[in-house]
Formats: sequence, C-alpha cells, structure tokens
Amino acid sequence: MRDLFVAMFREEWRIHAVLFGDAVFALLPVLVGAMAFMGTFLVPLVNRALPAGDLASIVHALYLLLGVMVGGFGLVGNEVMNRRFGQASFVAYAARTLPLSERQIFSAFVAKDTVYYLLFWVLPVVAGVAVASPFVGLPPGAVLCLLVSLPLSFLSGLSGLFLVTTVWSRSRAAFAVLAAVAVIAAGASVRATGGIPPFPPLALYRSFSWAVLAGTGIGIGAGFGVSLLLFEPRSPGGEHRHPDRFTGLLRRLHALPYPALTARDLLDLWRSGGGVGQVLFSLVLPLGLCWFLLSLLGPVLPPYGVLTLFSVLAGVLASTIYTWLTAFDSPGAYACLPVAPGDLIRSKLGLFALLHPVPAAIVLGAAVLSGNGPYAAPALGLMLGVSAWSAGIMVYLAGLSPNLLVYDPRVLFTYLFAVGLPAAGLIVLDLLDPWSGLAALLLVVPAVLAVRAAVHRWEEAEIFLS
Amino acid sequence: MALVIEAEGLSKRYGETVAVDSLDLAVPGGALFGLLGPNGSGKSTTIRMLTGQAKPSAGRARVLGVDVAADPVGVRRLVGIIPEQETPPSFLTAAEYLRFVSAVRDFAGGEKAAQWWFDFLDFGDKRDVLCKDLSRGTRQKLMFAQAFLHSPRLALIDEPLVNFDPIVQHQVKEFLVEYVKRGNTVFLSTHILEVAEEICTGYAVLHRGRLLATGRPDELREGGRHLSDVFLDLVRRERGHA
Repeated sequence: MRDLFVAMFREEWRIHAVLFGDAVFALLPVLVGAMAFMGTFLVPLVNRALPAGDLASIVHALYLLLGVMVGGFGLVGNEVMNRRFGQASFVAYAARTLPLSERQIFSAFVAKDTVYYLLFWVLPVVAGVAVASPFVGLPPGAVLCLLVSLPLSFLSGLSGLFLVTTVWSRSRAAFAVLAAVAVIAAGASVRATGGIPPFPPLALYRSFSWAVLAGTGIGIGAGFGVSLLLFEPRSPGGEHRHPDRFTGLLRRLHALPYPALTARDLLDLWRSGGGVGQVLFSLVLPLGLCWFLLSLLGPVLPPYGVLTLFSVLAGVLASTIYTWLTAFDSPGAYACLPVAPGDLIRSKLGLFALLHPVPAAIVLGAAVLSGNGPYAAPALGLMLGVSAWSAGIMVYLAGLSPNLLVYDPRVLFTYLFAVGLPAAGLIVLDLLDPWSGLAALLLVVPAVLAVRAAVHRWEEAEIFLS
Repeated sequence: MALVIEAEGLSKRYGETVAVDSLDLAVPGGALFGLLGPNGSGKSTTIRMLTGQAKPSAGRARVLGVDVAADPVGVRRLVGIIPEQETPPSFLTAAEYLRFVSAVRDFAGGEKAAQWWFDFLDFGDKRDVLCKDLSRGTRQKLMFAQAFLHSPRLALIDEPLVNFDPIVQHQVKEFLVEYVKRGNTVFLSTHILEVAEEICTGYAVLHRGRLLATGRPDELREGGRHLSDVFLDLVRRERGHA
C-alpha cells in the first residue's frame, strides 16, 4: 500500500511536469503562498470593517468549501481514477495486476489526492501567513493554530462530502436517514447552546485544546474510514444494461445545433453517477455553505449585500457546470468522427446554457427567502453574466480540459485575474445600486467573443490526440 | 484506378522526435493496402495525419481528393476510421453508440446497418450494455461496426484485429476482402505480417518514420519469398545503415 501511494504520488507529479514543466508546476504552491502573504497585509484594513473573529470564520469556511468541492469521490467511485487522467494515470491502472484489492488501490488514490491538495493549496497559505505575520502583528500562537485548524477545515469538508456522497451512491434511503440525523443533531445542538455550535477547526483556532483536536481528528478519520468501508468497487467484469434513451433525447433536442453531441453529454452526466447527485453536491451544497459564510458579513453590508455577493459566487460556481460536461469525455472518442473541436465546445456550451435554470432557481430562491425578492432580477443578471464570462474564459484557457485550471498555475492565475477583476467591479457597483447588477448581463458579449476565440484556438490544437 | 490517398513529403515531428519523415504514398482505389512496420515506426501517426487528427509538420496529403490539412472534418466525413485505441464513450450502450455515430454522420440507414453488424460479429446480446463494461474484444467489434456503418468508399483501420479471437479475425478478413471487391478501399495498418500477406493487394513498409519500400506483393516478394523475410531484411538493412 505504501509503495503504491508513493508510486501514485510520483506519477501525479510527472503527469503535471510533462504537461506544464517541473518548474511551472512547482511554482503553484509558491504562488498560492505569495497570494496568502500579500493577503495577510490586508488583514488590518479588513479588520476595521469586519471583526477579526468573523474574518477567521470566513477563511476557515473557505477551506471547508474547498474540501467539499474536491471530496465527491463517492459520487463516481473508482471511476474517478479513470476520470482524472484516463490512462495517463498508469499506476492506478497497472495496480490492478498486483495482489491488491480495488478498495486498497482506491484508498491509496484518495490519500494521494488529499496529500496533494494539502501540500499545494492548504499549507502554502499557512506558510504565506506565517511569513507575513511579524509585519502585521499576528501572534505566533495564532499562526501555529492556523497550521492545525486550516488543514483540519479542509479535511473536514473533504471527508464529510466523501462520506455523504458514498452513502448517497450506496442507498438514497440511507442518505435521507443520514441527512435527517444531521439536521436533528444540528437542531438539538442549537437548542442546547442557544446558537450555531462552533465549527471544531475554527474552535481550535480560537482556543487550542487537545481534546477538540483529538475529537476533530477522530471525526475526520471516521469519515474517511466509513467512506472507504462503504465504498463499492465497480469491478471491471460487471455489466450495466440500459434501455435506449439516446433516441428519445435526440428527438427532443432536435432544435439544438448539435443534438447528438448534447444527448450524449446528458446521458454521460446522468449515468456517470452525476445527475441529481452532481447538482446536489457540486452546486446546492457549496452554495448553501457560501450563503452561510456570506451571512457572517451581513452586519457590515447593505441589506441586499449578501445577495449581491452570493449571486456573484453562484455565477462562478455555475460556470463549473462546464466541467461536469467534460469530466467523462475524452476528445479521443471523436477522433474517428466528422466532428471538429469547435463543434464539441459549442455543443457543451449549449447544454451548459440549458442547465442554467438550476442555478437560476437557487439564486431566485435565495432572493425570495432572504427578503430581497424585489432585487431578484439584478441578482439573476449578476449570476448569469458572471457565469457566462467565467465559462467563456475557462473555455478559452482550457478548451475541453478545464481541470487544467486547477493544475497549471499560469492558466489558473490568468483565470482568477480575468474573472476576479470584473466580478469585483460588479460587486462594488451593485453594492452602490442593487439594480446595477443587471449590467452584468453585458458580460455575455465578451463571453461570446471569448468563446469564438476559444473555438479558433482549440481548432488549431491537436486535441484528438489527448 | 484513381488514387484515393496521395501523400507527398508528409512529415510529423514532436519536438526533436521525427515520427514520420517525408513520406510519399500513392494508394489506388480498390486496394487493400497494408501499412507495415515494427512498433513505433510511425504507422499510427500516418493514419492520424491522413484522417486529420494530427497536423502534418511538412508535406501534404489528399484523401479522396480532399486536402487533409485544409478540411480534416471533411475527410473524416467521407472515410471510416478505426483508431489505434478503441474509445467508445463510456456511458452510452453499444446500440446507443451506433445510433450516436449515425446521427453525427447524418446517416439515415444506421439502424439497419447496426443490426447487420450486431448479427455479423455476433454481439447483439451486448447491445444494451454500457461501453465501459464491454470487453476489449467487444469494444473492438463496436469500433469496427462504427467505421463501416455508413459503407465508406475508404476505411483507414489501425491494428483492427489485435483484440479479436481467431474466429472473428477470420470473419473480418473475409469481410475486408469482399468489401474491397465491391470497389471500396481499405488502408490497413498492422504489424501482423501474416494478415497482411494473406489479404493485402499492396504494401508500404515503414521504419523509424521512413518509407523503406512500397509496391504490390509480387514486386516486394520477389522470387516468392515470404513477406516476413522481405520485411526483416528491409528493417535489418535500415538498422545497419542507422
């Protein structure tokens, strides 16, 4: 097992090193750390408007969210090993010839992914804060606490979603029971303590305690352990049969420009374990967390401010629907067909647009439930504009492989800059006048231009060889 | 017969590596043309360039009169292709995949043709199974079916027999011979010399990206020598020169 973990770890590095170069890939944690370093200098400024405790809550909630975003292993089971890099992930493939069970191989894969995220995304932030802390008067004790609490926040989200998605995949009834138990436990806890109980890693940051550390560690370990026990390996010999759904979909989608490609993507999404699960765990749950996180800012924002920020974040998250549509697709599958890369991009964007009633409903629901119903239209405009622009940039930078965003620092930072700048401008405008959110719809124009440029760019690339 | 594949100085480089080096090819219509060569000789890269999947670094090629660099999709619309690795979409069933191919190719007779292939290659019992759950052999049958579904005038097939059992190999070889007799052309890449010797009406031998020889069987197998002897001589001579 240990050897397998080490081999997978090395292989992961080499896959990225071949794609981006050793130095560029190694630069990723350095850049993450540098951003944290610079961000730390803003802490005294932010603290003028926001209490330090709330800022810590936000940072921890962000890392909980990151864990949630990457923890959906249970949704696709061991298919995730093929999904990440296909046959480039040779160790995951070749390990099946060794005297190891699918469960052991999968466990090594999950451990490798977890350690990678910790090393590339979590610990560099702590390092950046640590280096900057003497300049902003952050006590060394706080940095030490962050070194423990931030990774635990990330691991809580990851193991929590791993558990939830595994239970979901095994039994919808068990999932309903688990959800009911969680809601009842949260309700009982609120009643007993008179408020929302502190998130354990955050409690550790505020006041370190060995007991809380042990409890959190046991909870996270139990999440991983139960998930791996419940994990159901999909043996290569199993046969899943389905009646023909393609013909009916093709008929219904005939008005679209690429009905066959769109029907195929829809079936991929539905049968891959995605569908409802994907919507629930990649959109509803993270957006729920976002709402909770943003509601902490309520006291320092105008009445509609939380909805403004939520709509922008919903737009960014909604743009990741494009990644759902590429996750199971290999451009090589079209090598023998009269299909151009541009056709694939356009067909996926068509389905991307078709699926947008889902985030639109979430934003409308948030507007109405938060008492901001009158501002539902600009909130919707914000979400749609930001989503269109983010997706346009994503398609331009990464084509049919949006997972490049996470691993290539050049692509990632270009994306963050291109999306962050207009998003920040829109937030400022919207906080000044809530109706200016409608202006975000203008982003659809540069988004269309970005897609046109993307089609031209990726038509030139030899994507069918990937 | 008019030429269906014409290549002049066709080359492909990946950085410092030369995968195909100034390849000149002329394949007449109605041929069952074998592209032979050891592993890594550039056979698959040649097929990829001829079908517009890879852009030539130099040279030009026309397939059925279409310039592959100028209109790669146009070439793929006209021909049938079996790629080196069988890659049907994971989450479509076998039958759905053939419907998908028919729809993408805008081919109206797909249903009837698919049924013929399910019967011919004897895998109708797998028609409702997701492609990801099919054995390699069945996936290869499916790739074979998709390549010939629309009865193309030219099929470019890369190592199509490697995953088949001897019975299916025999069936497929007979099919290819019959297909060519009907006036179509098959461009077959393989390193299985016995297959090439048995069914091909013309050959080209590649080694390290370079064309070592091309011609009809009687031209290459002078004196009735076995193709494998001719092939080994050519490759050894080339290695001796290198």
